[in-house]
Amino acid sequence: MVDRKEIEHLGDLVKVELHDMEKYITQVDQILNYFDNLDKVEYDSDATLRKEISYEDLREDKHEPFLTDGTPLINKLKRDQNNFIRAPKMI
Amino acid sequence: MNLGISATEYLSLIRNGEISAEEFIASTLDRVHAVEGKVHAYITMDEQNALNKARSIDKKIKAKERTGLFLGMPISIKDNICTSGIRTTCASKVLENFVSPYDATVVSKLKYEDAIIIGKVNLDEFAMGSTTEFSYFGPSRNPWNPEYVPGGSSGGSGVSVSALECMISLGSDTGGSVRSPASFCSVVGLKPTYGLVSRYGLVSYAHSIEQIGPVARKVQDVAFVLNTIAGHDPHDDTTVEKGAVDYVEDLDAGIKGKKIGLVQQMTEDGVDKEVSAATNSAISKLQDLGAECIPISLDSIVHSVAAYYTIASAEASSNLERYDNLRYGFDLGTEGYEFKAYVSKVRSNFGPEVIRRMLLGAFVLSAGYYGKYYLKAQKVRAMMKSQIDEAFKKVDFLIAPTMPILPFKIGEKINNPLTLYLLDINTIMANLTGIPAISVPFAISNMGLPIGIQIFANSFQEKSLLQASYALQQTTRLPEVPL
Repeated sequence: MVDRKEIEHLGDLVKVELHDMEKYITQVDQILNYFDNLDKVEYDSDATLRKEISYEDLREDKHEPFLTDGTPLINKLKRDQNNFIRAPKMI
Repeated sequence: MNLGISATEYLSLIRNGEISAEEFIASTLDRVHAVEGKVHAYITMDEQNALNKARSIDKKIKAKERTGLFLGMPISIKDNICTSGIRTTCASKVLENFVSPYDATVVSKLKYEDAIIIGKVNLDEFAMGSTTEFSYFGPSRNPWNPEYVPGGSSGGSGVSVSALECMISLGSDTGGSVRSPASFCSVVGLKPTYGLVSRYGLVSYAHSIEQIGPVARKVQDVAFVLNTIAGHDPHDDTTVEKGAVDYVEDLDAGIKGKKIGLVQQMTEDGVDKEVSAATNSAISKLQDLGAECIPISLDSIVHSVAAYYTIASAEASSNLERYDNLRYGFDLGTEGYEFKAYVSKVRSNFGPEVIRRMLLGAFVLSAGYYGKYYLKAQKVRAMMKSQIDEAFKKVDFLIAPTMPILPFKIGEKINNPLTLYLLDINTIMANLTGIPAISVPFAISNMGLPIGIQIFANSFQEKSLLQASYALQQTTRLPEVPL
């Protein structure tokens, strides 16, 4: 059973200001009750799906400037009037 | 002009000089203007660029210069796939004005082959939903009856193709998001094997299970698009190098001698009678073509919805962490806010389904519950994969209805998220196990609503999957969309 306090805490964790709290309490509770069906799973194996990628298959670890239309993206954003590269001032 | 032609027919008309790319694009745009008010497939149109591009392709054809394979075909792109120069909103207020500085790999490939992007199409916000009702820009409507949902989350893709507002569309499929609208709108939709198509430039929702997939009116058009978009991409390390496969070649190879497994758990409880009858009819037609059909039981499916929504919510809550209005965002002054309060305020602009999944994701990943939910869900995934591997030792394909029920009215189920989640039961297996699956339009109900049949194949068996789908498509003749 999920209560108001728990939903408030979750909202705090994911940093969302919650409106219509009662609706979220009811719906999240209903969905989590359904998820509880996972308790009935009978599967002895410890296996989970994993895909191994060998080191040789990974791309080389070197810096490559991200180019758009031949220009490094960072330069382009610096010129953009609405750029979001610099974070706004806060208290 | 007949806008309902297939890609193959289009290419032949263009090559013979019977139509020009500009004429076809202009007619398609006229069609969009005529029907958009009824169906609302598009979020953003790019009309002038589309016409300019068409003119330049016509010039290249006349001058006998190199032209791309698509010769100016009009396509729409789901609005969670990045397009340089056209905004990518994810149907969210939070990204309402976001213009990506780069193209997704699939978009670059299509542009290189002279496909013309005429616009970006609607979806449930961040692809979270199965009806397209959770779009910040309002719901899309089913062209077969605008009072009904078109399926989702790639509803705009299904609608735009079905309503002849483009020839082909790209959607993304996390739990059935390409196949559900394909089924509800009577078009073909493919979810490729995980790793066949690059996800670079697809805005992440649940990255371990989602794939970009084509939507078209005919199986041969889906095969044609797959030829261009499939393949390894150095920008996406989850893509696999499998060598070039021609999915169009031998598409009519037939299904004689193939074994098909009817998935029992997808055809019994809660399946609409007309959907059930259509499935039986599809099976009997495939048997007439020489296929053998046997029942297959995959009992892990009963846990699949809980496992899927646990994993999808967990990944969604992580992926949505980046939306703090600093790197992406809309106009909201920061004065008077402390950091956390500012971000919380910004994120309150997410729609209700996105917020629900963030809360669920945070819950199932939290220290006390990780083993109970997330780890268990991953075990279900492994269990499903092992059952699927066993099944494909016995059969070549699996078959089931794409959606267990017929399309329903807009607003009918929106207040009960769990009811909506349960409708995904037939599609999510392919996402959790990574295998390819396709929805083929097969019948129209007594009420005039479409029914799609779903076929699954083993990983990277798209070629034989498309051959089987083509065989099924050829057994039925469906009416024109009544729009």
